[in-house]
Amino acid sequence: MRIIEGFVLRPLVGEYIVIGEGIAQINFNKMVSLNPTAAYLWESVEGKDFTVEDLTKLLTDKYEVGEEQAAADAAALAAKWIEAGIVSE
Amino acid sequence: MQTKEKSYKVAGHIFSLKMDEGEKLWNVLDNYSPFECEVIPDPVFTLELVEKVETCDKKELYVSNPDVYEQRIDIYNIEDGYLFEMAPFGDVPVCGWMRVDPDFTHGKLMVEKDKRFCVNNALMLMYAFRTADLDTLEMHASVTVKDGKGFLFLGKSGTGKSTHSRLWLKNIPGTHLLNDDNPIVRVVDGQARVYGSPWSGKTPCYRNEDYPVGAFVRINRAPYDAIHRMSVPEAFASVYSSSSGLRAIKRIGNGLYSTLSTVIQLVPCYVLDCLPDDEAAIVCSKEVLGNA
Repeated sequence: MRIIEGFVLRPLVGEYIVIGEGIAQINFNKMVSLNPTAAYLWESVEGKDFTVEDLTKLLTDKYEVGEEQAAADAAALAAKWIEAGIVSE
Repeated sequence: MQTKEKSYKVAGHIFSLKMDEGEKLWNVLDNYSPFECEVIPDPVFTLELVEKVETCDKKELYVSNPDVYEQRIDIYNIEDGYLFEMAPFGDVPVCGWMRVDPDFTHGKLMVEKDKRFCVNNALMLMYAFRTADLDTLEMHASVTVKDGKGFLFLGKSGTGKSTHSRLWLKNIPGTHLLNDDNPIVRVVDGQARVYGSPWSGKTPCYRNEDYPVGAFVRINRAPYDAIHRMSVPEAFASVYSSSSGLRAIKRIGNGLYSTLSTVIQLVPCYVLDCLPDDEAAIVCSKEVLGNA
């Protein structure tokens, strides 16, 4: 999967948001909030093709989390991003 | 033919308009009179009304697809900047063409019809796009002033921003309207301030005044009257969707984000679920005046 062009991660008062700033998102008024962990993953995969396994590895590399928990979190986050329309499958 | 230049100061930014001395439009630009100032050599931007703008290759950047009653503003990339095409309604042909340099400091406008509409629109667009990275937001809002503070009512066209302002004027003593459609918000010395402008939609309210912002209130039609504070992301989204500017132009996207994220930390933001009734103004004012 891949981040859809035009969506930008912006810090916002201790949180993070993803907003559409490209031409394709001109009428896209939705905005997605990210916690710092999700923001770290987003930044790590910006501009690249990536898989749930890549996200899992990023989680286990940085955080003290079991492989199984990380895989479940990564899959849930990827599904959420796809559903929100900010990442393509 | 002699070109005449006039300058206007809106929210502290001075811009210039150049048209032929004999141009009849000079006589009907009443909305700019309160903002007229001395002509200066380096305004933030200059718009010139010309006989002809040269045709050129263009690449679609933003096409508005307006409804019948909405205005058309289509934007194209051209070799040396941008081309804007405009019309007052969705079902009439384009009647204004504006060529602008990449920094939005110089615009040349050619008009075939609806000259006043085109000049007003061109100036608004130039203003929003040029000042987006100067701690400035051109907003879509109706603004009412009470106790020396400006309260901005936000919402899509038709949700009742203007109606809510009227309800304040009717029900809350000591209020007046600052602007009914396109006020300017700036961050000045760590304070968010709202300014009147020459653009106020259908209401002729062109006040050259400014006040600290008391609150942003998103108007939401509902079968009852209730108000609550928005979370930070909600507040950002709300004020963001009410600010003019083409975010796909990087300088503008960065500028808007920077100003907006500052503004929402300085000013309380609310959602007002409301009917278009007197009670709405009373419920709203009671909450926002107490926290402004």
